[in-house]
Amino acid sequence: MNDFALVSKNLWRKPVRTILLIISITIAFLILSLMLSFNSSLSNVNTLPTRMVTLSKINFTESLPIAHYDRIARTEGVRAATHMNWFGGYYQDPARGFLPVFAVDPETYFQVYAEDLGIPAAERDAFFRERTAMLVAAPVAERWGWRVGQRIPINSNIFTNGTTGSSTWEFTLVGTIPTPPGSSQSGSVLIHYDYFNETITFGRDRIGWVPFLTTSAEMNDSVANAIDQRFANSQDETSTQDEATFNESFAAQLGNIGLVITLVVSAAFIAILLIVGTTMALAVRERTREVGVMKTLGFSSGRVLRMVLAESLLLSFLGAAVGLGLAALILTVLASSGGGGGPAISFAPIVIAWAALIALALGLVTGLPPALQAYRMRIVDAFARR
Amino acid sequence: MASLLDQIGAVTSLNLRSIPQRGAMSVASVVAVALTIAVLLFFLALANGLRSTVEGSGSEDVAIAIREGSNAELNSVVTRDQLAILATGPNVAQRDGVPVVSGELLVIVDGVKRSSGTNANMPFRGIGPEGLALRRSVNITQGRMFSPGTNEIVVGAGLLREFSGFEFGQTIRIRGGEWQVVGVFEAPGMVFESELWADIAVTQSLFNRPNVYQTMRIQLTSPAAVQAYRTWAEGDTRLNGLEILSERDYYARQASQSTQGFMAIAWILGIMMAIGALAGALNTMYSSVAARASEIATLRIIGFSGWAAFFGTMVEALALSALGGVLGVIIAFVAFNGRTTSTLGSGFTQLVFKFDLSPSIIATAIVVAIIIGLFGGLLPGIRAARQRPQLELASG
Amino acid sequence: MTDLIRLSDVEKSYVRGKEKIVIFDKLTMRIEAGDFVAIMGPSGSGKTTLLNLLGGTDRPDKGAIEFDDKHIEKLSEGQLTAWRSVNVGFIFQFYNLMPILTAAQNVELPLLLTKLSPKKRRENVATALQIVGLEDRAKHRPREMSGGQQQRVAIARAIVSDPKLLLCDEPTGDLDRTTADEILSTLQTLNRELGKTIIMVTHDAEAAKFAKRVLHLDKGRFDERELAA
Repeated sequence: MNDFALVSKNLWRKPVRTILLIISITIAFLILSLMLSFNSSLSNVNTLPTRMVTLSKINFTESLPIAHYDRIARTEGVRAATHMNWFGGYYQDPARGFLPVFAVDPETYFQVYAEDLGIPAAERDAFFRERTAMLVAAPVAERWGWRVGQRIPINSNIFTNGTTGSSTWEFTLVGTIPTPPGSSQSGSVLIHYDYFNETITFGRDRIGWVPFLTTSAEMNDSVANAIDQRFANSQDETSTQDEATFNESFAAQLGNIGLVITLVVSAAFIAILLIVGTTMALAVRERTREVGVMKTLGFSSGRVLRMVLAESLLLSFLGAAVGLGLAALILTVLASSGGGGGPAISFAPIVIAWAALIALALGLVTGLPPALQAYRMRIVDAFARR
Repeated sequence: MASLLDQIGAVTSLNLRSIPQRGAMSVASVVAVALTIAVLLFFLALANGLRSTVEGSGSEDVAIAIREGSNAELNSVVTRDQLAILATGPNVAQRDGVPVVSGELLVIVDGVKRSSGTNANMPFRGIGPEGLALRRSVNITQGRMFSPGTNEIVVGAGLLREFSGFEFGQTIRIRGGEWQVVGVFEAPGMVFESELWADIAVTQSLFNRPNVYQTMRIQLTSPAAVQAYRTWAEGDTRLNGLEILSERDYYARQASQSTQGFMAIAWILGIMMAIGALAGALNTMYSSVAARASEIATLRIIGFSGWAAFFGTMVEALALSALGGVLGVIIAFVAFNGRTTSTLGSGFTQLVFKFDLSPSIIATAIVVAIIIGLFGGLLPGIRAARQRPQLELASG
Repeated sequence: MTDLIRLSDVEKSYVRGKEKIVIFDKLTMRIEAGDFVAIMGPSGSGKTTLLNLLGGTDRPDKGAIEFDDKHIEKLSEGQLTAWRSVNVGFIFQFYNLMPILTAAQNVELPLLLTKLSPKKRRENVATALQIVGLEDRAKHRPREMSGGQQQRVAIARAIVSDPKLLLCDEPTGDLDRTTADEILSTLQTLNRELGKTIIMVTHDAEAAKFAKRVLHLDKGRFDERELAA
């Protein structure tokens, strides 16, 4: 036996009480991890510091003329550039079958997003060769049961296919994009821009936005300035930002997510702070006599204080660990069952740091009052009270 | 011997009077319930405000033609030819011999959110000459309506409250073109209040979308005329690919789409926090039963039944959680009810609306609080009921 | 025989409410090493306060308390705590065992304060339990034992670190006659065979007979003749 054994025996003295406390602490940490993971997946999906994007100054839904692309690609400091169009895709049912389909220029797309795409070379080359080819994020293919080689009808809720007069295009699935957690490709469907451009009935020779790589992150500002100046006062003015800034400003449109998360997480932690704090105080009060005995036997006040603090810290970290584990489990299950649009929420490593810090604070705040009470308790008083 | 009811009354009053002895723990469990309810109410009031704004926007006697499969106006396309045909349908209302219809184009421009200073998407709507006439609940409250054929805009009062860049009297540059803000309109509780309106032809030209329309709104003579109009449109092959529905139905569909997410968040968070609060309530009630073990034993020796002990504990738990529920509702009223906020609505544009605590939402929250109390009192109550009438406990 | 304990002019009073209650006024006494003293007296006579002063769990207002020629009233709180763990074993009326620990773990508790190896600790615990005749109940928790057995565990805990002095506060107050006598003979054995100095406060005249001498305390004063004897 040692002090830690004694601390843990004390913690589990009333198992029901301890389990209930761990449940409420777990819930608070679960809320914390889910919300932080959600928040960081809104802005930090596999961004590259050197990857920037140029879009219409009016708004990202406005298109740009294709001529812009060549000029951006030739700008000094741009290493590689590509262009993308939003297709407004869905499969079968517009309400349920939403698909983030992008019309891309295949070769340059693979230059700009090389780090993200772990596609086998054979599948990549098949995509390059075939004009009606389509690449699909693995979870999307899985969700709809598509096999490589199949021809898949995809609808657009924006464009009309000039060759058929309908909103449907048929694409051949030539490969799937593996999606590691946090990948920006988690829901994507890629098709050829050339094929798209030739078949649409309006909006020809326009592109949605231009992602590109700079030669180094220090060049970002000057490249952005050069591009935006180049198109200033033209019909199609541009706005150039790095990827992370763009994602953040998009997330900000949903509302003040940071504030909402702060409020909700605070509410959860204030609630458990009170619950755990009062229960720890009661638990130590119930042990007044035992604290007296320990001190009589020769345990110093400091050692008694440390043991009470260790108990509340142990409780707090147990709850935090279970909460984090549960959050990781939930997010893993969600990620594997997902496949719908949008970036999948994955467990953000920053959560662990925050959780550890908060668990430490929670343990100290809830443990300190009873620990000090035990520290100050005089032996004579401990036995006088019954 | 007193009736069971009297016994319960007696034990309950003992329980309630002993609450202050466990002051800190009781307060903790009340606050935990209150915070749970407040978080639940936050998202429910958000979803409710959003829904009632979107739902309240459509008229029953206005039909809207939109491209089939388009979730939002932004994705829709209606051709000029189709527009002309739609105006000739049955039961289309006339004003001075002109059909009250409006072909419209919605584009997105940037505004700046006042609270955060960040850019946000503003819906900029080009409307036909009859566009104002078929939105009867819209009132110009400052300045005047734009003159047809000019680069003038009117701005919704809701948009003006939340976003800057479109103040009355200002000149705005968008895509090389200049626009003059000549009026402010109100449409209380409707999505239109978050929009900018301008002449359709000028909008098409200055945004480089010649002859592009996204939707057509058609004022019909009565709500009942919508069905006949739809049947007529379906029979015309030139209108293939268009969906006709009443504006009310269109916005109802939008409402359910945009509120789903918030409702899901409300209940996921609400249930999680309720579990946490329940754990706290159970702890408090178990402590209550433990602290009163000798009191309960004494009562049982005197002849009180186990049921009385059970209900005493139950009522204490319910009282604490109901108090928490009421406190949560008060927090909600003070902190956010009626506050204006905005979020991304359907079609990637900002929608301004108010947090709305409806009576049914409050009732829901109180029911959740009471459920926490019921579960929080059940097991400890059973433990109290099983407390044996033993002398050694009674004397301890 | 040498003196183990010397009290000189010890004064002690408490403030209860607005009232000052004087317990001891210039109490002087000495106890020799190897003695077994029973202290009797009515409630409020100062018995428990005396035990607290002797065991270093309370301090005198004035006067000196020497243990093995060392002035313990001058020790700091921390030094006093450390001194207590080495020199004094306590036995209480209500045993005061930790309900969460087994008998063996309860006995081992004071050894957490020493630097003994786990192996040595186990040996000492086994020896202590053997002395009180409870080696077969080592794995039982207090709640699974009778009052007498619990008090034996408490005695084992008091002697496991081999202190010179055992302080017993009504050690048989909660036990029936037969069990009480067993406990008292155990104490007697500890005194006779292991040379422990024992000071026992009791109400029970039968219990006092097991001691080598009996001192009567009344209103903070000992019977002078008994003290001189």
